[in-house]
Amino acid sequence: MMRDATARPDPSSEGGRCLRFSVQPQAARLAEIRRFVEEVGGEFGLDAGRVFDLKVAVSEACANAVEHSGSAHAPLELCAWFHPDRLVFEIADSGDFRVPQAERGSRADSRGLGLPLMVALMDEVRIRKTPGGGTNVTLSLFTKG
Amino acid sequence: MQLASSQLAQVPLIVIDGECDHGSAEALRAAVEEALSADPLAILLDLENCTYIDSGGISVLLGAVRRLRGRGWLGVLAPNDNVRRLLEIVGLTAGAGFRVFDHRDDASRALEELRG
Repeated sequence: MMRDATARPDPSSEGGRCLRFSVQPQAARLAEIRRFVEEVGGEFGLDAGRVFDLKVAVSEACANAVEHSGSAHAPLELCAWFHPDRLVFEIADSGDFRVPQAERGSRADSRGLGLPLMVALMDEVRIRKTPGGGTNVTLSLFTKG
Repeated sequence: MQLASSQLAQVPLIVIDGECDHGSAEALRAAVEEALSADPLAILLDLENCTYIDSGGISVLLGAVRRLRGRGWLGVLAPNDNVRRLLEIVGLTAGAGFRVFDHRDDASRALEELRG
Protein backbone atom coordinates (compact mmCIF):
# COMPACT_ATOMS: atom_id res chain seq x y z
CA MET A 1 0.00 0.00 0.00
CA MET A 2 1.47 3.31 -1.08
CA ARG A 3 1.20 6.48 0.87
CA ASP A 4 -1.29 8.80 -0.75
CA ALA A 5 0.55 12.08 -0.54
CA THR A 6 -2.35 13.99 -2.03
CA ALA A 7 -5.08 12.95 0.36
CA ARG A 8 -2.90 12.52 3.43
CA PRO A 9 0.24 14.56 3.24
CA ASP A 10 3.25 13.12 4.94
CA PRO A 11 4.30 15.45 7.77
CA SER A 12 7.74 15.62 6.20
CA SER A 13 6.35 17.10 3.00
CA GLU A 14 4.99 20.16 4.72
CA GLY A 15 8.21 21.93 5.39
CA GLY A 16 8.25 21.88 9.16
CA ARG A 17 11.39 21.52 11.26
CA CYS A 18 11.86 18.10 12.76
CA LEU A 19 13.73 16.45 15.63
CA ARG A 20 14.52 12.76 15.29
CA PHE A 21 15.03 10.00 17.80
CA SER A 22 15.85 6.42 16.98
CA VAL A 23 15.54 3.67 19.59
CA GLN A 24 15.39 -0.12 19.84
CA PRO A 25 11.80 -1.35 20.28
CA GLN A 26 12.12 -2.51 23.88
CA ALA A 27 9.88 -1.71 26.84
CA ALA A 28 12.97 -0.78 28.84
CA ARG A 29 13.63 2.09 26.41
CA LEU A 30 10.26 3.78 26.90
CA ALA A 31 11.64 6.07 29.60
CA GLU A 32 14.23 7.44 27.14
CA ILE A 33 11.45 8.09 24.67
CA ARG A 34 9.57 10.07 27.32
CA ARG A 35 12.65 12.21 28.01
CA PHE A 36 12.74 12.99 24.28
CA VAL A 37 9.05 13.89 24.34
CA GLU A 38 9.64 16.18 27.34
CA GLU A 39 12.41 17.98 25.46
CA VAL A 40 10.27 18.40 22.37
CA GLY A 41 7.20 19.48 24.32
CA GLY A 42 9.21 22.03 26.28
CA GLU A 43 10.75 23.42 23.13
CA PHE A 44 7.34 23.68 21.49
CA GLY A 45 6.01 25.50 24.55
CA LEU A 46 3.44 22.96 25.70
CA ASP A 47 2.25 23.21 29.30
CA ALA A 48 3.01 20.38 31.72
CA GLY A 49 -0.39 18.75 31.28
CA ARG A 50 -0.10 18.60 27.51
CA VAL A 51 3.44 17.25 27.80
CA PHE A 52 2.08 14.50 30.06
CA ASP A 53 -0.65 13.67 27.52
CA LEU A 54 1.90 13.56 24.74
CA LYS A 55 4.18 11.29 26.77
CA VAL A 56 1.33 8.84 27.35
CA ALA A 57 0.17 8.90 23.71
CA VAL A 58 3.70 8.45 22.32
CA SER A 59 4.41 5.71 24.88
CA GLU A 60 1.25 3.87 23.89
CA ALA A 61 2.17 4.04 20.22
CA CYS A 62 5.70 2.86 20.98
CA ALA A 63 4.53 0.14 23.40
CA ASN A 64 2.28 -1.13 20.66
CA ALA A 65 5.25 -1.27 18.33
CA VAL A 66 7.34 -2.99 21.00
CA GLU A 67 4.71 -5.68 21.53
CA HIS A 68 4.12 -6.50 17.90
CA SER A 69 7.64 -6.01 16.74
CA GLY A 70 8.62 -9.18 14.98
CA SER A 71 11.90 -7.59 14.03
CA ALA A 72 13.32 -6.58 17.36
CA HIS A 73 16.49 -5.35 15.68
CA ALA A 74 14.82 -2.72 13.53
CA PRO A 75 14.71 0.51 15.52
CA LEU A 76 11.69 2.61 16.19
CA GLU A 77 12.00 5.91 14.38
CA LEU A 78 10.46 8.93 16.06
CA CYS A 79 10.17 12.33 14.43
CA ALA A 80 8.74 15.43 16.06
CA TRP A 81 7.56 17.94 13.47
CA PHE A 82 7.31 21.57 14.54
CA HIS A 83 4.65 23.52 12.69
CA PRO A 84 3.30 26.97 13.57
CA ASP A 85 -0.16 25.59 14.32
CA ARG A 86 0.64 22.10 15.58
CA LEU A 87 3.16 19.61 16.89
CA VAL A 88 3.17 16.29 15.06
CA PHE A 89 4.81 13.18 16.48
CA GLU A 90 5.49 10.45 13.96
CA ILE A 91 6.31 6.93 15.17
CA ALA A 92 7.42 4.49 12.49
CA ASP A 93 8.14 0.81 12.98
CA SER A 94 8.48 -2.26 10.85
CA GLY A 95 5.59 -4.33 12.18
CA ASP A 96 1.82 -4.47 11.98
CA PHE A 97 -0.29 -2.35 14.29
CA ARG A 98 -1.67 -4.57 17.05
CA VAL A 99 -5.35 -5.35 16.67
CA PRO A 100 -6.76 -5.26 20.21
CA GLN A 101 -9.65 -7.67 19.62
CA ALA A 102 -7.31 -10.38 18.48
CA GLU A 103 -5.32 -10.40 21.69
CA ARG A 104 -5.72 -13.04 24.36
CA GLY A 105 -3.95 -14.00 27.52
CA SER A 106 -3.42 -13.08 31.13
CA ARG A 107 -2.44 -9.52 30.33
CA ALA A 108 -5.72 -8.89 28.54
CA ASP A 109 -6.49 -5.90 30.77
CA SER A 110 -4.20 -3.58 28.87
CA ARG A 111 -5.23 -4.85 25.46
CA GLY A 112 -7.10 -2.23 23.58
CA LEU A 113 -6.46 0.61 26.01
CA GLY A 114 -3.62 2.15 24.04
CA LEU A 115 -5.52 3.37 21.01
CA PRO A 116 -8.46 4.86 22.96
CA LEU A 117 -5.95 6.68 25.16
CA MET A 118 -4.14 8.10 22.14
CA VAL A 119 -7.44 9.29 20.68
CA ALA A 120 -8.61 10.76 23.99
CA LEU A 121 -5.38 12.64 24.64
CA MET A 122 -4.44 13.88 21.15
CA ASP A 123 -6.18 16.24 18.74
CA GLU A 124 -5.57 13.91 15.83
CA VAL A 125 -4.36 10.31 15.46
CA ARG A 126 -3.51 8.65 12.16
CA ILE A 127 -2.34 5.08 11.62
CA ARG A 128 -1.01 4.06 8.23
CA LYS A 129 0.66 1.03 6.76
CA THR A 130 3.94 1.81 5.06
CA PRO A 131 5.22 0.26 1.83
CA GLY A 132 7.95 -1.63 3.67
CA GLY A 133 5.41 -3.55 5.77
CA GLY A 134 5.61 -1.31 8.82
CA THR A 135 3.23 0.96 10.62
CA ASN A 136 3.33 4.73 10.86
CA VAL A 137 1.45 6.47 13.65
CA THR A 138 1.13 10.26 13.72
CA LEU A 139 -0.08 12.06 16.83
CA SER A 140 -0.94 15.75 16.52
CA LEU A 141 -1.52 18.49 19.05
CA PHE A 142 -2.92 21.74 17.69
CA THR A 143 -2.07 25.07 19.23
CA LYS A 144 -5.09 26.56 20.93
CA GLY A 145 -6.94 29.66 19.75
CA MET B 1 9.96 3.07 39.50
CA GLN B 2 10.44 2.08 43.12
CA LEU B 3 7.87 0.12 45.12
CA ALA B 4 7.45 -0.18 48.88
CA SER B 5 4.90 -2.51 50.42
CA SER B 6 3.45 -2.08 53.89
CA GLN B 7 0.03 -1.89 55.52
CA LEU B 8 -2.52 0.77 56.40
CA ALA B 9 -5.52 -0.05 58.58
CA GLN B 10 -4.83 -3.77 58.11
CA VAL B 11 -4.88 -3.76 54.33
CA PRO B 12 -1.90 -3.84 51.95
CA LEU B 13 -0.44 -0.48 50.99
CA ILE B 14 1.92 -0.22 48.01
CA VAL B 15 3.77 3.05 47.53
CA ILE B 16 4.71 3.76 43.90
CA ASP B 17 7.58 6.16 43.39
CA GLY B 18 8.41 7.28 39.86
CA GLU B 19 7.14 6.20 36.45
CA CYS B 20 4.91 3.16 35.99
CA ASP B 21 4.98 2.13 32.33
CA HIS B 22 5.00 -0.96 30.14
CA GLY B 23 8.56 -1.64 31.20
CA SER B 24 7.97 -1.45 34.95
CA ALA B 25 4.36 -2.66 35.23
CA GLU B 26 5.41 -6.27 35.78
CA ALA B 27 7.03 -5.32 39.09
CA LEU B 28 3.80 -3.63 40.16
CA ARG B 29 1.82 -6.63 39.00
CA ALA B 30 3.96 -8.88 41.19
CA ALA B 31 3.54 -6.59 44.20
CA VAL B 32 -0.24 -6.51 43.72
CA GLU B 33 -0.34 -10.30 43.34
CA GLU B 34 1.57 -10.62 46.60
CA ALA B 35 -0.89 -8.24 48.28
CA LEU B 36 -3.88 -10.17 46.91
CA SER B 37 -2.54 -13.49 48.14
CA ALA B 38 -3.77 -12.72 51.67
CA ASP B 39 -7.35 -12.12 50.41
CA PRO B 40 -7.57 -8.56 51.71
CA LEU B 41 -10.81 -6.56 51.70
CA ALA B 42 -9.05 -3.79 49.82
CA ILE B 43 -5.68 -2.72 48.50
CA LEU B 44 -4.26 0.78 48.64
CA LEU B 45 -1.82 2.25 46.15
CA ASP B 46 -0.09 5.46 47.19
CA LEU B 47 0.35 7.46 43.97
CA GLU B 48 1.50 10.73 45.51
CA ASN B 49 4.97 10.29 44.03
CA CYS B 50 3.88 8.42 40.93
CA THR B 51 4.85 10.88 38.21
CA TYR B 52 3.67 8.89 35.21
CA ILE B 53 1.40 5.97 34.39
CA ASP B 54 0.17 4.51 31.11
CA SER B 55 -1.84 1.50 30.02
CA GLY B 56 0.95 -0.75 31.29
CA GLY B 57 0.29 0.34 34.86
CA ILE B 58 -3.41 0.97 34.38
CA SER B 59 -3.86 -2.66 33.32
CA VAL B 60 -2.55 -3.74 36.73
CA LEU B 61 -5.07 -1.45 38.44
CA LEU B 62 -7.90 -2.85 36.31
CA GLY B 63 -6.85 -6.38 37.17
CA ALA B 64 -6.81 -5.58 40.89
CA VAL B 65 -10.28 -4.03 40.71
CA ARG B 66 -11.56 -7.16 39.06
CA ARG B 67 -9.94 -9.44 41.63
CA LEU B 68 -11.34 -7.44 44.54
CA ARG B 69 -14.86 -7.32 43.12
CA GLY B 70 -17.51 -8.48 45.55
CA ARG B 71 -15.17 -8.02 48.50
CA GLY B 72 -14.11 -4.39 48.53
CA TRP B 73 -12.18 -2.00 46.37
CA LEU B 74 -8.87 -0.77 45.08
CA GLY B 75 -8.04 2.62 46.58
CA VAL B 76 -5.49 5.07 45.25
CA LEU B 77 -4.00 7.83 47.36
CA ALA B 78 -3.22 11.35 46.20
CA PRO B 79 -2.70 10.89 42.46
CA ASN B 80 -1.45 14.05 40.76
CA ASP B 81 -3.81 15.86 38.39
CA ASN B 82 -2.38 14.24 35.26
CA VAL B 83 -2.56 10.71 36.62
CA ARG B 84 -6.06 11.33 38.00
CA ARG B 85 -7.23 12.59 34.59
CA LEU B 86 -5.93 9.43 32.97
CA LEU B 87 -7.73 7.22 35.50
CA GLU B 88 -10.91 9.14 34.66
CA ILE B 89 -10.42 8.74 30.91
CA VAL B 90 -10.16 4.96 31.15
CA GLY B 91 -13.28 4.86 33.30
CA LEU B 92 -11.67 3.57 36.49
CA THR B 93 -12.92 6.38 38.71
CA ALA B 94 -16.54 5.79 37.68
CA GLY B 95 -16.52 2.19 38.88
CA ALA B 96 -17.76 1.00 42.27
CA GLY B 97 -14.64 -1.07 42.84
CA PHE B 98 -12.29 1.89 42.68
CA ARG B 99 -11.78 4.75 45.15
CA VAL B 100 -9.62 7.86 45.10
CA PHE B 101 -8.49 9.41 48.40
CA ASP B 102 -6.68 12.66 48.99
CA HIS B 103 -5.33 11.63 52.40
CA ARG B 104 -4.52 8.42 54.22
CA ASP B 105 -7.02 9.35 56.95
CA ASP B 106 -9.80 9.34 54.35
CA ALA B 107 -8.75 5.86 53.27
CA SER B 108 -8.68 4.63 56.87
CA ARG B 109 -12.20 5.94 57.46
CA ALA B 110 -13.47 4.31 54.27
CA LEU B 111 -11.94 1.01 55.37
CA GLU B 112 -13.76 1.25 58.70
CA GLU B 113 -17.01 1.74 56.81
CA LEU B 114 -16.20 -1.19 54.55
CA ARG B 115 -15.77 -3.43 57.55
CA GLY B 116 -19.06 -2.14 58.96
